[in-house]
Amino acid sequence: MISLTRSGDRTIEEKEALLGYALIAPALLLIAAVILYPVLYNVYLSFTVVPLRPDEAPQWIGLEHYYSLFGSSAFWSALRTTIVFTFFSTTLATLGGLGTALLFNRSFRGRRYIRGMVLLPYVAPLISVAFVWRFMLDPLYGIVPFLGSDVLGLYAGEIDILSNGGTAIWAVILIDAWRYFPFAFLMLIARVQAIPGDMYEAAKIDGASKFAQFKDITLTELKYILATVFLLRWIWNFNKFADIWLLTRRVETLPIYAYQVAFANYQHGQAAAISMVLFLALIVFVLGYVAWALDW
Amino acid sequence: MAKLTLNDVTKVYDDAEGTETAVDEASVTVEDGEFLVLVGPSGCGKSTTLRMIAGLETVTEGTVEIGDREVQYLAPSERDVAMVFQSYALYKRMTARQNMGYGLKHSTDMSAEERNRRVRESAELLGIEELLDDKPEAMSGGQKQRVALGRAIVRDPDVFLLDEPLSNLDAKLRSHMRTELQRIQSDLDVTAVYVTHDQTEAMTMADRIAIMNDGVVQQVAPPEVAYDHPNNKFVGAFLGSPSMNTFDAVARGDGDGDAYAIDVDGITLGKVPRGAVEDNIDGESVCFGIRPEDLHLDNLSDDVTDVCQFPATVTITEYQGNDNFVYLDVGDRSLTARVPPGVYPDSGDEVTVRIAAEDVFLFDPETTESIKTRGVGNEHIDTQPITRS
Repeated sequence: MISLTRSGDRTIEEKEALLGYALIAPALLLIAAVILYPVLYNVYLSFTVVPLRPDEAPQWIGLEHYYSLFGSSAFWSALRTTIVFTFFSTTLATLGGLGTALLFNRSFRGRRYIRGMVLLPYVAPLISVAFVWRFMLDPLYGIVPFLGSDVLGLYAGEIDILSNGGTAIWAVILIDAWRYFPFAFLMLIARVQAIPGDMYEAAKIDGASKFAQFKDITLTELKYILATVFLLRWIWNFNKFADIWLLTRRVETLPIYAYQVAFANYQHGQAAAISMVLFLALIVFVLGYVAWALDW
Repeated sequence: MAKLTLNDVTKVYDDAEGTETAVDEASVTVEDGEFLVLVGPSGCGKSTTLRMIAGLETVTEGTVEIGDREVQYLAPSERDVAMVFQSYALYKRMTARQNMGYGLKHSTDMSAEERNRRVRESAELLGIEELLDDKPEAMSGGQKQRVALGRAIVRDPDVFLLDEPLSNLDAKLRSHMRTELQRIQSDLDVTAVYVTHDQTEAMTMADRIAIMNDGVVQQVAPPEVAYDHPNNKFVGAFLGSPSMNTFDAVARGDGDGDAYAIDVDGITLGKVPRGAVEDNIDGESVCFGIRPEDLHLDNLSDDVTDVCQFPATVTITEYQGNDNFVYLDVGDRSLTARVPPGVYPDSGDEVTVRIAAEDVFLFDPETTESIKTRGVGNEHIDTQPITRS
């Protein structure tokens, strides 16, 4: 008599499992090579002094970089700037996207074309957007100082908005919110349009005010997508480098601080430690946020 | 609770795609505590009419009165109506309790305690007390339906509006909810307007039905009156399943002169005593109508007047359980008959069809208005009686 599962042979389940591992192996290898290895190497570098000569090995110094980092006022200032920048630019972009999505939920003439134009800030190349804004904010010939000082008389004299630390951060926040609100708009408009209209009709009959309808129907229906958009924008803005760097040197966030330590001061180990802190801070925030807002 | 009156209510949509009259001078009075069903094919304007009563659509012309208040310019919440939607339209992120209390919270100044008491009472009436803390996503279709009903009931409105509330339910639950709805409506004795395209719902639930077509109210009558004495050909053909057989015919004075023979393509399909028709229709074109259940293939009882009989060929017989549908060929025309389950002729059989004069319907081919409805008496029949006041 022939046994169907002869000893030494694999069962169908085992074969399936092996095939499964074989199929995901290329993806796992790729991730390991381009993500996992650099991250782990960065962790290692943050515990060392990295010599400039490539033939010398990094010198292990343990937690030394972290101690000096936490004792440095420049680091704390950069962390504070990062949080202020991320919080306000993310909030403004999300709110701007929500407002625009609600406006576009009603039909009006030319809606399709204007919807395309709303996306313009998001799809225009960063370099051109940044230089146009610098041009517009220029204290000598920019239109923004002209309007603010000469026409509206909000302030006297010439203030270089982007070269003044106090004003530069808000200019960067506003420009970043302007550039990225179309992303929030895109994500929200689809959901806004999918809210069934009869809930609003039921609410009208129930006598709910416009505000109550917005709060009880629109916002609750959009809660998850709003929270997701906020989270994504938070992650991207927390690590934001190019947008800020191209506009001004006066806003020093953690990514910019890390860049300067690495490529102006050539302290690669110290810079690795900064990026580790950035990474961990982001992870802690994301985990806390997800637990609080999204109950996934 | 109040009487609801529509006076020449008209709705014209005027937009970029042109002008469209959705409802044309609809006048209907729903008596206090009456259950009126608005029925008609899709696009006939019945939902638009309901939405105008609710205040979800503006009224182009005419007035809507609830009790002695003219309400067509009032916001929906000021009209004291409650509505049940086809899709239930429950607030998805709220529990059943919050759903039901929402209207009370926003349009009354009741205390939270009082609101809760009202919600509990309505929930008891509907048997959904144990659902009160559930959200809609955790409920079945029938449960959502009950919560939606509860949301309407709890407000104790003057008028109860229902827009195809049962059409998202499966057949069995639908017939159950039909009886349930009738019970609740009569318990509460509330004025109700119910929109449906399903004539079974219309016939079984209504005190009176209002049949609409192309934005025009065709007839408002109790179901049995509308069925037996339709105002016009549309109402006759719309009510009943399978629908009435209708043919273009000629009325011919019979030899002895006391009856008309109704000829279709030269074959006499019906005989009608002269007294059953008001005007002289000798030699005139008419539209002949006969309901499937009035085509008899077996013996007809003796107490009917003027039986007409003619031969026909059976095309096919469909077994339906409680009765059979027999499709017949007479000359070039096809007839549908509904016969008792015992009568089951084979395809190709020659049968004799008998039609009593009582059951013949005649309509004017031009205006489609009724010339003769069920019966052979010559007394005037009120086709739009008011049943309660």
